[in-house]
Amino acid sequence: MKRAPRLVAQVALYVPLMALLGYLSTRPQFSVIAPDEALLRLSFIHAAHRAHACRSRSAAELAKLPPNMRAPLDCPRARVPLRVELQLDDRVVLEREVTAAGLRHDGEATVYFRTAVPAGRHLIAVRMGDRPGGGFNYTRTATLDLAAGSALVIDFDPAKGGFVFRS
Amino acid sequence: MLKRLHLAGQWVFLHVEGLFNLAFGEKLNPLYYLGPIAYYLMWVVVASGLYLYAFFKTGVQGAHASVEYLTVQQWYLGGVMRSLHRYGADAVALTMLLHLTRHWCFDRYRGFRWFSWVSGLALLWLVYAAGINGYMLPWDRLSQFVVVATAEWFDRLPMFGGELVRNFIFPENVNDRLFSLLTFVHIGVSLAVLAVLWVHTQRVPQAKTLPPRPIAVTLTIALLALSLAKPAVSQGEANLAAAVTTIGFDWFYLPVYALLYRWGPGEVWGLVGGLTLVLALLPWLPPRRRKGPAEGYHMLVRPDNRIVAVREGETILDAGLREGIAFPYECRNGGCGQCKATLAYGTVDYGAYQPDMLTAQERGAGKLLLCSATPLGDLEIDYQPTAVPGGIRARVWTATVDALDLLAPDVMRVMLRLEGGERIEFYPGQYLNVLLEDGEKRSFSFATAPHVNDRIELHIRRIPGGRFTTQLFERTKVGDRLRFEGPLGSFFLREDSDKPIIFVAGSTGFAPVKSMLEYAFHRGLARRMILYWGVRRPEDLYLALLPRQWAREHANFSFVPVLSDPRPEDHWQERTGLVHDAILADFPDLSGYQVYACGSVEMVEATHPAFTAHGLRQDDCFSDAFRLAARVRSHAPELVRLGGTA
Repeated sequence: MKRAPRLVAQVALYVPLMALLGYLSTRPQFSVIAPDEALLRLSFIHAAHRAHACRSRSAAELAKLPPNMRAPLDCPRARVPLRVELQLDDRVVLEREVTAAGLRHDGEATVYFRTAVPAGRHLIAVRMGDRPGGGFNYTRTATLDLAAGSALVIDFDPAKGGFVFRS
Repeated sequence: MLKRLHLAGQWVFLHVEGLFNLAFGEKLNPLYYLGPIAYYLMWVVVASGLYLYAFFKTGVQGAHASVEYLTVQQWYLGGVMRSLHRYGADAVALTMLLHLTRHWCFDRYRGFRWFSWVSGLALLWLVYAAGINGYMLPWDRLSQFVVVATAEWFDRLPMFGGELVRNFIFPENVNDRLFSLLTFVHIGVSLAVLAVLWVHTQRVPQAKTLPPRPIAVTLTIALLALSLAKPAVSQGEANLAAAVTTIGFDWFYLPVYALLYRWGPGEVWGLVGGLTLVLALLPWLPPRRRKGPAEGYHMLVRPDNRIVAVREGETILDAGLREGIAFPYECRNGGCGQCKATLAYGTVDYGAYQPDMLTAQERGAGKLLLCSATPLGDLEIDYQPTAVPGGIRARVWTATVDALDLLAPDVMRVMLRLEGGERIEFYPGQYLNVLLEDGEKRSFSFATAPHVNDRIELHIRRIPGGRFTTQLFERTKVGDRLRFEGPLGSFFLREDSDKPIIFVAGSTGFAPVKSMLEYAFHRGLARRMILYWGVRRPEDLYLALLPRQWAREHANFSFVPVLSDPRPEDHWQERTGLVHDAILADFPDLSGYQVYACGSVEMVEATHPAFTAHGLRQDDCFSDAFRLAARVRSHAPELVRLGGTA
C-alpha cells in the first residue's frame, strides 16, 4: 500500500480505538440508584447481652478447678444474636439475626444494610433486640421526607437512647 | 473442544492482524507488540502520575480542589496529564487483556510457560488494584462510589467483619490521613506492578519491553489527541451525606463494581476468586500428555554449528534466543517474516502465521518461521545471523595460501594470509567457512590466537572421498587464492569465570583449543588449564610437541595425551582408553570446573552425560557439539566436527 492511503488507513484504525477508549472510560453511565430515589442505610455495631446469666459455682465445682481459676461465678461468654428489623411504610425490608463476632460469639455484632427507596414521605421503623428471650427492646419510628439523591443513615448509639436517624 | 476454541481465536487474531498489516505494515503492526505496548503505556502512566502527584494535595479539602486546579486552571498541561494518566491506564488494561487472550488462543501458556502466565495474571490484578485505587483520589462522586463500594466489598471478608464501610458513611470519619493512605497504596501498588512486570519479562528470552519508536510515537500522539478532544474531568465533589446516583463509569476498570450493586459482595467475591483460580490453573487444564522426550528436542543451528535444547512447545526462535543465538526476528508473532530460516532436517509444527509471510512454495522449499514453528523431533536449522559475539560482523574475505605443512599423514596445516594486508578480528574458538566455487561451504576453526591476526592457521584432516580435502591434499599449492566467510560461531573462550578449565580435544579438535590456549597464555590467564587430547594412535597427535612445550613454560597448564587404540609397536607409556574416562579418573567431581570440548560427535556423545553425571554444570559446558545427540543426522556426524569437515 502506498504511503498516503496507508496513513489514512492508520488514522481509520486509530480513531475508532481512541474513540472506544474515550467512550468506555465514562460511558455508558452507571446508576447506583435511580435519579428519583434516595439511599437508606442501616449501619451500627453493637454488643448484645450475654446469652446465659452467670451462675454460682458449687463448692465441689470450685474444688475441681486449679486454685488460681476458682472464680465463684461462671459467666459464659457467648452473646445472643442481634435481632434487627427495618420497616419501610407497611413493608418489612430487613429482618435479620446477626451473630456476634468471634469464635465464641462474644464480640460485637455488625449490621449493614443498604437499599434504595423512592423519594418522598415514608414511615420508617427500626427495631432491635439484644437480650435473651426474643422481642425488641429498642425501637424507633419516624416519618421522613426523603429527597431524591439524599442519603439517610440509621445509626445506633445507646448513649443517645438508641437509634439515631442522620440525613 | 479447547483446540477448536484456540483455532477460532487464532483465526480471529490472524485476520485482524492481517488487516492491521495493510495499514501499518508487518514490522510496525501494534498488535504484534501488545506486551511492549503495555510496558510503554505503564511508563506513560507513571510519568503523568508523577506530574499529578506534584500538585495533588492529600487532604479532604485539598484533594478535589487540587485535581480541579489541574483539570481547569492548568488544562493545557495538568489537564492533559490527568487525561493521559486516565487513558493510558485504560489502554494498559485493554492491551494486557488482548495480550493475555492472544497467548491463550495461540496456546502459549502451558508447559514451561506457566510461570509467565501466572505472573501475568498477578500483574493483571495488580494493575486493576492500582487503577481502582486511583479512582479514589480525585475525591469526586465517582471516588465516593468507588471508596464506599470497595469498603462494602471488602467488608464481606471475615477479617473486616463489616466495620470498614462505617469509615465512609459519616463525613466526620474521613480525614486527611485517608488520602495519605490512598496515595501510599496507589504508589506502592504501582511499584509492585513494575517489579512483577520485570519478573514477568525475565522469563522471555530477549523480551522487548518497548515497542518500535514509530508505534510509541503514534500511540502517544493518539492519546494526546484523545486527551485534548475529551479531557478527563471530575464528577462533582464527593459528599458522603448525599447518595451517589448516576455517574460516568470506567468500564475498563470498574465492571466488577457494577456487578457489586447488582449481585452483592459474596457473589462478586465468588466470581473474582473463581475466575482467578480457573485462570491460574489454565496452564494445567486439561492435563496434557507429553508427546516428545522429557528433555525436549535438540537442534543443530547453522552457521553457528551449535546444538541447542528446545523444550516441548517452545518456538525455535525462543530456544535459540535463550541460548544467545543471533536469530533474526522482529514481531515474534508470525507476521513480519523477518525470522524466516531453512529447515535442513527434521519435522516441525509450523504454527500459526500470516500466509503471505511463508508461502506454500517457501514451505515446500524447506523454509519456516522461527517464531511460529515448534519442533516435532530433532532439527537442523540454517539461518542468516544478525550479529556475532562482540559485535564483530562476519564478512567474506579473500586470502592466499601462505604455507602447507603435512603434520600427519592425514592432517594438513594450512596457513592463509589475507589479501591487501587486511587483519581479521575473531574470538578464540570461532571458525570460518571456506566458500567453494559451487556455493558449498566447509567449516574450519581458527587455530591461531586472535592477537596473531595477520595470518590464519587451519588444521584440516583429510576425509576419504571428501571433495574439498582431496583437492587440498592433492592439488592446492602455495599462492592459491581462496574465499571464506567469518568469523562465525559463538563457541569461544569465556573469561568471566575463575574456575579451572579442562580442554577436551579429539583429533583436529585441537585447532580451536590451540587458539584458546595461545590466547590464554598471551593474556596471562592464571586459571589452571588441563588439556586432554584424545586420538587413536600416537601419529594422530600431530602437534604433540607444542602442548608439551606449553606445559614446560606455564606452571598453570598441563597436558594429558590419551590414546584409544595404541599398538605394541607404538611403545606408548602414557594414558590409554577413552578420553572422558581419563578425565573422570583424574577429576571424579567436576562441579568446580569448566569444560571446553571440541571433537567428533561420538566423543561428545560419550563425554557429555558422563561429565554431567559427575557434577559438571550445564553452564560450564562449552562445545559447539556438546549437547548434540547422534540423533541429529546420525548419518552425517561430520556436520558438527569443528576441527574440519570434508
